[in-house]
Formats: sequence, C-alpha cells, structure tokens
Amino acid sequence: MLKNWINVFTYHIKNNKLFTVLNVLGLSIGIAGLIFAILYWNDEQSYDQWNPNKDNVFLVANQMDPTTYWASSSAPIGSAIKNTSPEVESFCYLNGNYDNEIIHYNNKKVQSDKIVVAQKNFFEYFPYSFIEGNIKNALPDVNSISISQDLSQQLFGSESAFGKKVILQNQVLIVRGVYKLDKKSVFNPSCVVNFMDTRVKNSIQQWGNFQFILLLKLKKSTDSEIVTKNLAKVYYENMMMPRAKAQGMSPQEFIKKFGEVKPHLEPLSIVRLHTKTGGLIESNGNYQLLLIFAGLSILVLILSIVNYVNSATANAVKRAKEVGVRQIVGASKIEIIQQFIFETAVISLFSILISLVIVELSLPYYNVFLEKTLVLQSSQFYLQLFVIFIIMIIAAGIFPAVYVSNFDVLKVLRGNFARSKNGIWLRNGMLIFQFAVAAFFIIGSYIVYQQINYMNSKDVGFNGNQILNISYRNIYGEKISNEDRMRKYNGIKNELLRIKGVKQVSGGGFVLGNGAKSVISYHHKDINIDGNNIPVDFGLLEMMKIKIVKGRYLSPDYSQDTISSMLINETALKLLNEKDPIGKKINWDGKEAIIVGVVKDFNIGNPGEAIPPVTIFHFKSVPWFTSLLNNIYVTADPKTMPQTIADIENLWTKKVDSDYPFLYDFVDKEYKKSYSSYVKQKNLFSLLNIIVITIALFGLFALASYSIERRMKEIAIRKTLGAETNVLLIELCKQYIFFCIIGFLIALFPVYYLLNKWLENFAYRITISMFPFLIGFTALLSLTLLVVLSRAYQATKVDVLKYLKYE
Amino acid sequence: MITIKKLSKIFRTEEVETNALSEISLTINEGDFVSIMGPSGSGKSTLLNIIGLLDSASGGSYELLGQEMIGLKEKLKSKARKENIGFIFQNFNLIDELSVYDNIELPLIYNNVPSSERKKKIEHIAAVLGISHRLKHFPQQLSGGQQQRVAVARALINDPKIILADEPTGNLDSKNGNEVMELLTDLHAAGSTILMVTHSDYDASFSQKIILMKDGVILSEKLNQRNVDVLVTSKN
Repeated sequence: MLKNWINVFTYHIKNNKLFTVLNVLGLSIGIAGLIFAILYWNDEQSYDQWNPNKDNVFLVANQMDPTTYWASSSAPIGSAIKNTSPEVESFCYLNGNYDNEIIHYNNKKVQSDKIVVAQKNFFEYFPYSFIEGNIKNALPDVNSISISQDLSQQLFGSESAFGKKVILQNQVLIVRGVYKLDKKSVFNPSCVVNFMDTRVKNSIQQWGNFQFILLLKLKKSTDSEIVTKNLAKVYYENMMMPRAKAQGMSPQEFIKKFGEVKPHLEPLSIVRLHTKTGGLIESNGNYQLLLIFAGLSILVLILSIVNYVNSATANAVKRAKEVGVRQIVGASKIEIIQQFIFETAVISLFSILISLVIVELSLPYYNVFLEKTLVLQSSQFYLQLFVIFIIMIIAAGIFPAVYVSNFDVLKVLRGNFARSKNGIWLRNGMLIFQFAVAAFFIIGSYIVYQQINYMNSKDVGFNGNQILNISYRNIYGEKISNEDRMRKYNGIKNELLRIKGVKQVSGGGFVLGNGAKSVISYHHKDINIDGNNIPVDFGLLEMMKIKIVKGRYLSPDYSQDTISSMLINETALKLLNEKDPIGKKINWDGKEAIIVGVVKDFNIGNPGEAIPPVTIFHFKSVPWFTSLLNNIYVTADPKTMPQTIADIENLWTKKVDSDYPFLYDFVDKEYKKSYSSYVKQKNLFSLLNIIVITIALFGLFALASYSIERRMKEIAIRKTLGAETNVLLIELCKQYIFFCIIGFLIALFPVYYLLNKWLENFAYRITISMFPFLIGFTALLSLTLLVVLSRAYQATKVDVLKYLKYE
Repeated sequence: MITIKKLSKIFRTEEVETNALSEISLTINEGDFVSIMGPSGSGKSTLLNIIGLLDSASGGSYELLGQEMIGLKEKLKSKARKENIGFIFQNFNLIDELSVYDNIELPLIYNNVPSSERKKKIEHIAAVLGISHRLKHFPQQLSGGQQQRVAVARALINDPKIILADEPTGNLDSKNGNEVMELLTDLHAAGSTILMVTHSDYDASFSQKIILMKDGVILSEKLNQRNVDVLVTSKN
C-alpha cells in the first residue's frame, strides 16, 4: 500500500515540479519563521526558571509615580522589613550595575566586565552549581570573591583557583569558590564580591536614597501581599512621616503634594519579561518584541498552511479520477484519507527539514539581530518541532483529505466533475484570508517605516557630526576628592588640546541617546519639576550646536557660572510657567541656583521619547557632579581624523589609562544606537512583509491557474461566440478584484488598532493617515491584477478546439 | 445471484422529478451473461450503477448473493463491492499516474492480499490477457484495446462474483472492440457472471439474454438462442 502511495506521490511531484517546490518552500519559510520565534521564546522564558527560589525570591519594585517603577531601594529598608515582617526569611542587597574592572593575579591582568557587588547570601538566591568551594562559604567576609569557571580559566588556567589571592580595586581578595555560569538569569556575574555590606552601612540612615537593588526571600511565596503592605508601612513611618513633619504638614497633605513610594513585589520568575521597572542588571527581555514576533510568525505559518490547503484541494480536483477508481476497486474512505494525510506528512517533513536548513544558515544573522547566542538544540526544542509537525498534519492534511474522500464517485467517473463547484466557497474564503494578511503586512510595514523615518528625520536639537565621545573611567575611591577629579580632567584636556588636529575638548556627564544619569526634583512656586541633570564643561553645548533660546551659554568669563548659574531647556521653562525666566532664583537640592539661559529642546533619550525637563550646571557648580564625568568630547579636523584618533589613543593608553582599552565613538553614530531596536523591528517587519507577499502571491497564482483551467471550456465557448480578449480578461479578473477588496476591508481594523498600539511606544510619533492604506490598497490590487491578468491572458490565447473537442 | 424487485430511482431537482427507474424487477443467475440495451436516458446506466453499489435506489429491493443491499451502510457497501464486483468502463478509468502493474494491483491491496501472492496473481492474469510485456508501462503509452485489457485484468484480479461492464467497446475501434468482446465471451464460457450495458446490437449478440429498457422500465427480455444451453445448465 505504502509503495503504491509513494508511486502516485512521486508521479505528481515529477509532473508538478513548480507547484511542489513553491508549496514546500512556502511551508518551510513559514516553519522557519516559527522556529525562530520558538528559539527566541524558549530563550526568554528560560531566564531564572532553573532557579528553585524563583517563586519565593522577590524584587522590591518601588512605584514613584503612576508610571515610574524603580528597581532600586534604599539601604535601611532591608533590615527594617526583616525585623517587622516574620514572613521574610532574608534579604540581599545588590548593585544595580555590573562593575567593569581589572583583576590582578601575580603579574596577570584580566578585565572582567560583569562584576556583581552583593551581600554574602547572593548564592543562596542564585544557586549556581559550584566546582570549587560551596554555596554556603562562597562569600563569608568582605575579603572573599567567587568567580565563574570562565574567569577562573583566564586567571589561573588549569590550576585550582580555590584559596588564591587576587587584587581588585586595590583590595586583596581570596577566591572562595568557582561556579558554573551555565544557566540564564537576570544576574549573570563573571564574579561576585561582598562589598555591599559596607555600602549599605554607609547609607543606613538615608531612607530617600534609592540606590541598591533589594531582593527578599519569603518563607512562603503566598505571603507577598502581607510583606508588600508591611513595606509600605515601613516607608510611611520612616520616610513620609518625618518628612511631612519637617515641612510642617500632615502626612496626608504631604503625600497629596509630593506623592509617595508604593512598594511592590515581583517574583524572580517574572522579572525578566514582565517587570514594570527599568530592569535589573541585565536589560529586560523585550516582551513586546517577543509577542509581535511570535504573533507574526504564527500568522505567516497559518498563511502558508492555508496556501497549502488551498492548492491541495484545488489540485485534488485533478486527482478525482484516481480517487474514484480507488473507491470502486475497494478503497474505503478511511484509506483515501490516510493516503492524502500521508502525502501531507511527507511534504511537511520535507518542509521541516528545509526550514531547519534555513534556520541553521541564517541563525548567525538572527543572533546579531537579537544580540543573543541561540543554538539549534535542546530536547525541548525538538519536542516543540514534533508538535509543530503534528499540528501541521492536522491543519494542512485532514481537510484536503476529507474533502477528497467525499468526492462523489459517480460524478467523477462520468467525467463532469472537474467543473463542479465543490468546496469553492472555502477556497475563496481562504483566498480572502490571504488577501487580508497581505494587506495587513503591506499597510503595517508602511506605517512602521513612516514612524522610523519620522524619527530619523527629526531635528534632535544637536549636531553630533564629527564629534568624538571618548569613554573616560574617571578616578574614584575613599581618598579621592572632587577637586582631584577636576584636576585630573583638566590635565587630560590640556594634553588632548596639544594633539595636532584637535580643535575643541570638553567634558560631560551624559551620553546623548542614553538619557540623563541622575534626576533631581526642584520646586518653584509649588510646581514640582523632575529635572534631568546634564553636567557640562564650558563649550560643550556650543560644540554640539545646542542652541540658546533665551539668555546665554555658560562661560568662563562669568565667575558665578562655576558657582550658581543654571541653564534649563524649553520643556522645563514651559513647566515653570515663567515669562521671563532669566535671573530667577531656584532652590535646587538645597542650594540657590540662578537661571541664566534657556536652551532649545534637544533629545537626550531616543527620538521617540518625550523630551524631559533638563537642568544644566557646570561641574564646579555642583561638586559631586565630577563623579559623573565619564565622557570627554573632542572635535577634530575631519581631514586628519584617522591620524588624530591614533594620536589620542596613543596618549590615552600611555598617560591616561594604561589598563583599560581606549573606547570612543562618534556622537551621531552613538545616538543612532538609541533607537536601533525600533529600526530592527522595522527591518523585521519588512522582511516578513516580503515573505508574506511572496507566499500570498504564489497562493493567488496557483489558485488562479486552477480556477482558470476549470473554466477553460467556458472560455473556449465564449471565444467561439465572438468574445473579445479584453472582455474575457475582465470576466476572469473581476472575482479576484472583489476578493482583494474584501480582504483589504477585513484587514483595516486590526491594522489600525495594532499599529496604534505599537505607536504608543513613542511620545514623538506619527498619526496614522489615509496614505498607508492607499498605498497598501494600490499595491495589493496591482499585484493581484499582475498575477491574475498574466494567467488570464495566457488562457485567452489557447487553442479553442482543444477544449471544445475534449470529453 | 442478483434479485431485484420493484426497484425505483427518482432524481429530484428543484422543479422537476424524473423517474430514472420505475419499479424494475430483474433476476440474474450465476453464470449469466446479460446485456442491457436502450436509448440514452433509458435508465440503463443508473441500473448498472445501483447494481454496482455506486448509486443508491429510492425504493424497492436489491439482493446480492442473498443479502439486501438497499439501505446498507456505506462501509458495508464498500466491502460488498470490493469482494464481489469487478468494473469495466467505457473510458477504462485507469489511474494515469500508476503503471499497468500498479493499476492491476490496486484491488488486491485494498483486499489485503499479501504482496508475494499479489505478484503471482498479477503475472498470471497478465499472461492470460496477453499484456505481460506491458506491465511496466503507463496507461497513456498503450493503445485503447490494451488499456481496456488492463481494465479487464483489474476487474478480474480479485475473482469477483459478477463483472459489470459499461459500454466496454464504446471507445474502441471495431477490431479492438471485437477482441474485448471475445475476451468477455471467454470469461463467460469459463463461468463468470457478466452484466453489460451497450448500445451496440453486435456486442449484445455475444450475450445470452438482452434486456431492452426505455424511460426507466424494462420493455422486453430476449434470450439469445445460441447461448440457451449455458443458461439451462447454470440454473442447476
């Protein structure tokens, strides 16, 4: 029986090479898309799922206003909640950034960029498996360090690391453990040090200083609500009440005016994808992209399955005789169904194999796109692949098989079956679905394109062309003062200015595109403004061509400019609601500041974000700003740029920082990175757009071919009766135009709704106009006509006699 | 073997009701060779299809080998068909995508005959019908007469109790048509039961009994003299 099936199957493949290839290709592209989505999905979902504590370790997320959640907490709350809430088993403070430092061992230097500063129970929260040492004694004291296997390899080679002494930040540390970093987590440290105790102790009085990440381990995961309430209570009693008292208000009044901290608990298992905060140490999973991608790839797969079903049922008409004969010589319906499902199974298997090849070949690009290192393995993945296979057989196989097995044997054998209208409504329905999906993609990708274009062409308010941004590590430590930092910076600045080609040098405490590093709120006439701090050296704003709207730039000519002068941007001015802001005194963080100028709004975040109110000071005006000085901006003669950069690097590695690599970028390039994820989404959408349109057009082509073939006799009769070619063409095309319009109308609402949702990501966005819809409709209609007309034109050229004599 | 009593078939469309068969009664015994003749639309093909279990009747009774077929479930009909009935068509109805060998093999496959036995049977019947050298060819590569032989081989491979032939010579020239008729006569002589629908008086003359139909009723039954002996013996 199998041999017989295979014979028929291979015969059809041989005689319908084009359609078979296109069918298999369509399916395999659809499956490949889904595989990509699954790989991404599996990867994102695997974060922290291995952790046995995932449900009873919680991140304290503090809600500062209706939309802002901070992942950081203040230092005293940890022990306070442990004391007041017996449900809390323990707490662990961690640093919210990886430290990037050099670790010394004898004469060896290894730079490690994922150093986590934590408390000693870190490994009880994240129980990585230990190769040397153990979890309990991983960080017993402040002189301990536990390192990952990779780092151990780099530092000590094949030697045992346990007990060895290394130097980090001028401190001698003893290696207490080596762990395997083989599982994904929101913390993936190359090594962990126990410096957090000191930092917590130093700021134990500062209730309002939210600077560390706090994790709580509860005895029972169901207690999170009680603990949340207790946290709120602790903040209220220790922070709100004293502050209200200091202002001479009742706590209720105080909260009404200044807001309050609302703590929430997020279990570790959901932090990666669903946290409301800006994320812990690793960037958050992009849940939206994940959903978009999964949704679109499923849509593409459905499209390719519909395509397959459509052409399979259309093709089945040609095989009616075979089916009829089989039934007459004794095949039961079940056997016919089995035969056709078998064919689908073989096609599906082929498609899956080809899709695996496609995936394997394009995985490197995909990994670059997602900034991940996905691979095609894991039993979970192959299980999912098997499920896809089964679903495809069910979705793509059963319908055509049942359809075929229900052929009326008598009609088939009398020979007038080919023109029967059996199942035609369903094929047309599927065709309309394809049109709708194609319209969705054409319109959608055009809108996405428009938005990205809009962001690209936006006047960002500065000009970063040919300006170098050099990453400057600055100097820190107990004994280093703000003056030391300023002195060192000025030294570097003078050295840089001496290099040939360098025109201007100026320091800054921000990177355009990344937003401000610190936010300090100030009040003016009962108006609260969350000012984003931009610390600058003289000349920086001029260098970046950030324009002044009112007043003047900061200048060394005015002595007060390094004491109290402050610049704000237009957004801040609007909030201040002052007609004449120049010379106004502001109480800024306990000091008196005087507004001397207003700058034109410029983007410090990505161009889709709203521009926040900005506060600009010279480094010297706010002494601790010097600790934010991590960028030195340089303009140079473009003609000698390569040589100038080489000279700067030479100076840098010799005199400024010999340990760390010299890192720089051009400001405009760097800025583009701030919205690269949206550019990627656009590219993804465009790629899928092409795929979808290709699949849909092929489906249309196949269906038009079959249905025109069915109508060949009618065409022949019309022609003998004197119909002209163009009348025939209209006759053949009009139903497809009709379907095309219906499909387009069906797509209208979903595309409008979903794309509007997507555009909500952007404060600075386009409104959806008629234009993309017009473009989409025109494109869809002209592609449809192109395909159908080409088929129809061929049909009208055929030899009339052939079809009239037939039968 | 076949007993039909008051069999009727009514085709209904929205406006018209057509009596394709009105209360036909007929008996066919084992070993009979019966021809049905009549003009187009007389109901002869409908009758053949009902006997072949391809179509269902509107009323009356049809017993095949003592078992009532009217109202039988599709599955049992299919079983009765594949075990008892072999078909020969005017347009051969071979599967173009399968070789001659595969075409003849089909009924055996669906009757679950083991593969070794299948091969033996096919080779035997191909030898009998003189198409042994054509087994690897595809239907389109054969002449009409050869195609019809393949169809006959397929109809016979399962040793059916009755062979139904629907204008078996309709698509053949007289030489090939003659060959096919001689083949059927030989089969009959070897004991097969055959029911044939035909337009041709010449073809009908090969059979023992000719039934003439018009407008859904049997006008006359006529015995062909030269075959009367066979009819008598088969009645025993």
